[in-house]
Order: sequence, then C-alpha cells, then structure tokens
Amino acid sequence: MVKIKDCRRRLGPGVDFYCESFDAPAGVQMALWGPSGCGKSTMLNLISGLLRADSGIIEVDGVETQKLRNGQLDRFRGERFGFVFQTFNLLGPFTAIQNVMLGMRFSDTRPHHEWKPRAKELLERVGLGNRMHSKPATLSVGERQRVAIARALANNQKIVVADEPTGSLDPKTAHSVMDLLLELCGEEKMTLLLVTHDAGIASRLPERFDCTGLAREVES
Amino acid sequence: MTLWHIAWNYLWNRKLTTGLTILSVALGVGLITAVLILRDETERRFVEEGQAFDIAVGAEGSTQQLVLSTVYFIGQPAGNIPYEIYEQLQKDEDVERAFPIGLGDSFRGFRLVGTSADMLQYDWVNRITGEPRNTFRLVEDGNGRYFEKPFEAVLGSAVAQQTGLQVGDTFVSTHGLMDLEGAEAHEDMPYTVVGILRPSGTPNDRAVFCDLASIWHAHEHEYGTASLTGADTSTEADVDEHAAEEGDEHAGEHHEHAEGEAHAEEHHEHHDREVTSVLLVLKSPGLRFQFMPRVAEKYPDVIAAIPVDEIQKLYRDLLGTARQVLLAIGYLVVVISSISILIGLYLSIVQRKRDLAIMRALGAAAGEIFGAVLIEAFWVTLLGIGAGWFVGTGLTYGLGAYLSERYGFSITAFRPSPDMVSAYSAVLLMGMVAGIVPAWQAYRTDIARDLSDV
Repeated sequence: MVKIKDCRRRLGPGVDFYCESFDAPAGVQMALWGPSGCGKSTMLNLISGLLRADSGIIEVDGVETQKLRNGQLDRFRGERFGFVFQTFNLLGPFTAIQNVMLGMRFSDTRPHHEWKPRAKELLERVGLGNRMHSKPATLSVGERQRVAIARALANNQKIVVADEPTGSLDPKTAHSVMDLLLELCGEEKMTLLLVTHDAGIASRLPERFDCTGLAREVES
Repeated sequence: MTLWHIAWNYLWNRKLTTGLTILSVALGVGLITAVLILRDETERRFVEEGQAFDIAVGAEGSTQQLVLSTVYFIGQPAGNIPYEIYEQLQKDEDVERAFPIGLGDSFRGFRLVGTSADMLQYDWVNRITGEPRNTFRLVEDGNGRYFEKPFEAVLGSAVAQQTGLQVGDTFVSTHGLMDLEGAEAHEDMPYTVVGILRPSGTPNDRAVFCDLASIWHAHEHEYGTASLTGADTSTEADVDEHAAEEGDEHAGEHHEHAEGEAHAEEHHEHHDREVTSVLLVLKSPGLRFQFMPRVAEKYPDVIAAIPVDEIQKLYRDLLGTARQVLLAIGYLVVVISSISILIGLYLSIVQRKRDLAIMRALGAAAGEIFGAVLIEAFWVTLLGIGAGWFVGTGLTYGLGAYLSERYGFSITAFRPSPDMVSAYSAVLLMGMVAGIVPAWQAYRTDIARDLSDV
C-alpha cells in the first residue's frame, strides 16, 4: 500500500530527512515510533502528501505521489487518507456532524445525499450520537478525538494516518481512543499508520517501524 | 455544505468583527445611496415642476432668480412687470394659457401667491408623460372651494397643517416674503380661508393662493400703490375695482391708512398695475425656443426663461459640483471600508491558518480555499451594501422630510437607478479586490508547517 525508496527532504539548515526504504502492506496497522525529533512526523507528512520529497520515490496505492500536480495531490490526499491529529484539529465554527461531513465535502468521494447519513452513522459508532450538533469547544478532549476519528473514516479511506492521537489525552481516555481506532480500522480494513513516541502505545499495534535517525544532521 | 456555507460559518463565528466591517461598508454605501437618491429625486421633482410651465416672463434680472422665485417660490423676485404684458401675452396665438403671479406678501413665512383662479382650475398634466398632475386638488371634505373674489385664500397643505387654519378661518398677511419680526401686517385686510389643497409634494404645499387683486388691494390700501413691493412706482393711485364693486369699506379708509394719500382717491387702470411674473403654457412645448426671443424683442425691459432649462442649468452649475464632492466622499469611505475588509480578513486568515491547513489536509484544493476567502469578502461587501441601502434610504427619508418642510418637495420614490446599480457594482468589486490579498495568503497555506504550529 505504501512504499518509500531513497526519499530525501531538506528540513532546515544542516538537517535532512532520509529514508532508504519503507513498506507498509494494505490493511496493516503499523506504529512509526521513535524519540521526539527523529523524523517520524515528517515521514507521515511525506507519505500523506502534506510535504513533498526533494528526491526519491513515494508510492501510495500504486501511485507515485511526487509525480502528481498540486491540485491532483490535494484530491488524492482527500480520497486516500484520513487524518487523526494529536490536537484533534476540528474546525471550531462547525458542529461535530458538520466536521465529519467536511471530510466528505472536500474529498468528493461520496454523493452529497450520503454525507449526512454517513456522518450520523460514524458518530453513533464512536459513541457521540447525542452530541452531533455540539461544537468542538463544548466537547471534552476525548469526545473531540472521537469526532476526529469519525472524520478520518468518513470516506472509507484506504489509509488512516494518526500523529500522536493520544498525546493530549489522559491515560484512561487514551486507552479507550486507541481501542476505538484499532477496532474501527480493523472493521473497515484500513491501513493504519500511527506515529507515537510512546513504546507502550506502539506495542499495541501488530507492526512497528523504528524511525530513529531518519532526521539527521548533514554537512550543509 | 458549499463553500458559501463554509464562508458564512466563519463570518458568523466572529460576529462582532464581521458586524463592524459591514457597518463601515454600510456607511460609505449609505452616503453614496443618499446622494444618488437625492440627486435623482430632487432633479426629477424640480424638472417635473419646471415642465408644468413652458415660459416664465418677469422683470429684468437673473433668469434663474425669476424661475426659482415664481415657479418654485424660493428666494426673492428681481422686480415686477406691468400687468398689461400679461394681458398681451394672454392674447398671443401661441399661448394656450397665461397665468399672472403676484408676490409681495406672506403669512407666517408662507408666501401669498396672487394669481387667477384659472390657474387652480386648469387641467394640469405632466408635459413629459401626459399624466394628470393633481397639484391643486382640494381636500375632499366637501367644505372647500377655490377662491372666487379678493381676500379669499386657498391654503397649501403644509400651510394648513402648520398654521392650524381651517376653512372659514381668517388671517392677516404681512408685507414681504419672509417671516420677519416687525413686518408690517395688513391688519385691515383679513383673508378668509375658503379651501385647503391636498398634499402634492410640490411648492404649492407651502403657498397661499389668492386672487391677484387681493395683493394689489392690500398694497394700495397700505401704500397707496398697486406696486407689489410697496414702492410707489405708479403715478396714479389705484383703486381696486373689486373693492369698488363691493362698496368696499376699505376703499373708504384709504385716506386714513395710505402713505401717499394724494394718490388714494385717484383711479387707475389695470395697465398701471403690476405682476411679478407671467407663467405661460404654450400650445406646444416645441414652441418654447422660438417664443422666448420674441418676448425679449417685444418687451425690452422684460426677460423670459424656460423653467426646466434654468433648473437643469442650476443643477449642472451648482448642485453638480456639490454632488461630485459628496459622491467623492462616499467613494472615499468605501475605499476605507475596503481597506478595513482587507485588514479584517487578513487578520482572520492569520488567526485561522491552522483551520485552512486542516481543510487542505482533508482534500480541499488551494483554489477552493482561495474561493472560500473571496466569498467571505463577497458576503461582507454584499451585506454592507444591503445595510448601506437602508442607511441611505433612511438618510434620504430624513433629508426628504427637511426638503419637504423647507421647499415643499417630497421625495417618496426609492427606486434603484442605473447609477446606483453601477455604484453598488463598483463597491462590490472593491470589496472583492480587498479580499484578494487575504485569499492569496490562504492559498499559499503551508499545510505541514501550519498543522504543526500548536
């Protein structure tokens, strides 16, 4: 599903990201783990097309993403990837159901009339059937992350990328959010790439990729 | 969920800032709207009124002064002309109808217009559209009628409203056209109100109409001369024939009151009397330009003017400049408003860079983000224009009430003019242009960096 070969990206003066090889088969649940600053988030951004590589090959679902033009890459990202962030990244002016629908609105993978039923279904699955019309500011952090998970799954994306999804949660909530994420991705047969620095969290996933040393100092 | 909906949600999310930006646009648009409505409406009303008469004939002086004073009842007339000119003009083959106008007296600041009853009874029509003009219609309470003899008066609607006079009441006029303290009152010559006109939105609302002979008689009585200014311009004193017919007691009192007593007993003919102007309706408006020079040739000390031309000249010369200045101020306010749209949106984009990055991560194309911000600018400007229209019409309503009070011109039509549509389009364009910089800023979102900025 995701392959990387000889991928290089300049991160700043004297700092480069370099990944010689990476392979995540379809449907895998894999932790990209390592210490802070090791380059694991950069790798996730390169895979999802939020960043472009300076050189090398990134292949997602059979498509070499570096060959896509900007607009094509935006569309491709919306269709293939679901995002779960550490800080939830919900849009403040919109309600929970609208946030989930926005995921479908921009990816354009479903007809308009399916947006609302699909959003309702997902919010009920993450246990927020009674908070659909609440705005993010009125939800607890755990509830916000559940909305973000529902949004990430809205388009039946092939890949869910989660960047420290439990980083802002207390241990109990973090545990339940992880359970939910793993369960739903398993049910939907989605590839899950989860960035974490927490070895405990990483151990809960069947596959792990050690990102230590991906970001390194080089002679400028 | 369209981009319009998304843009609206963001605006609604910061109601106060949005509201203030809309207000600033509304103020500029309001000013522009008011200037345009006032320009169009006052010009339309003035021209409509000016079109009623084809030619105004009066004493030598400024043609604009002649038209303003005798058609619109604004300002002082330059002087008077002999009554016989009216009589001669009346007989001219090109003249459909001639109306004498005698000014000189007033009642509580409302000027008395001495004329013939014929002017009130004439079937006035709009010379452009041919529609009837009901400028002299009496209030339909069955009590009123037009004047039939001297010292009977028909009040304009504003006069009746402001003085409280009703049919059957009497009042005394004062000499002069202004309501000045100490002005001489024609105490022994009271007028009786015989009719009240319906509001017409014309200068007639603020005038008191009476028989021309009333004005002459009041002046003869006080000054011993039929001169409307009170100056003794005639060599013979004039005794009004109406007064004679009525066995007029006032005529008998002449000796006691008149300044030039020697003149009082003398009889003088119509040709010694004066009128302030003669207003003509020609057989066709097309005769105006050939008729006017004929008057100048025939009567050397007299001038003639085409009222509608004079009023349009006045608009071009004087009000045109004022309008340009006001419009320039309006557009300046809109430019400042556009800058405030730019600043408001720019700051909002800076504040929500993360939101834009999230949308991009969710699959929104850079062009969609650009469009959404531009739509926000569109919403703000459109709402500003809408609010500005209300501000402008409200302002016009207030100024219209003043104009009606001051000049008898009511402004009632708030219909959009082509100029207004152009002005609003220009404002909308400026608002959109102001949205381009923030939209470009949003377009250039660095998704990975903005998402990582916590």
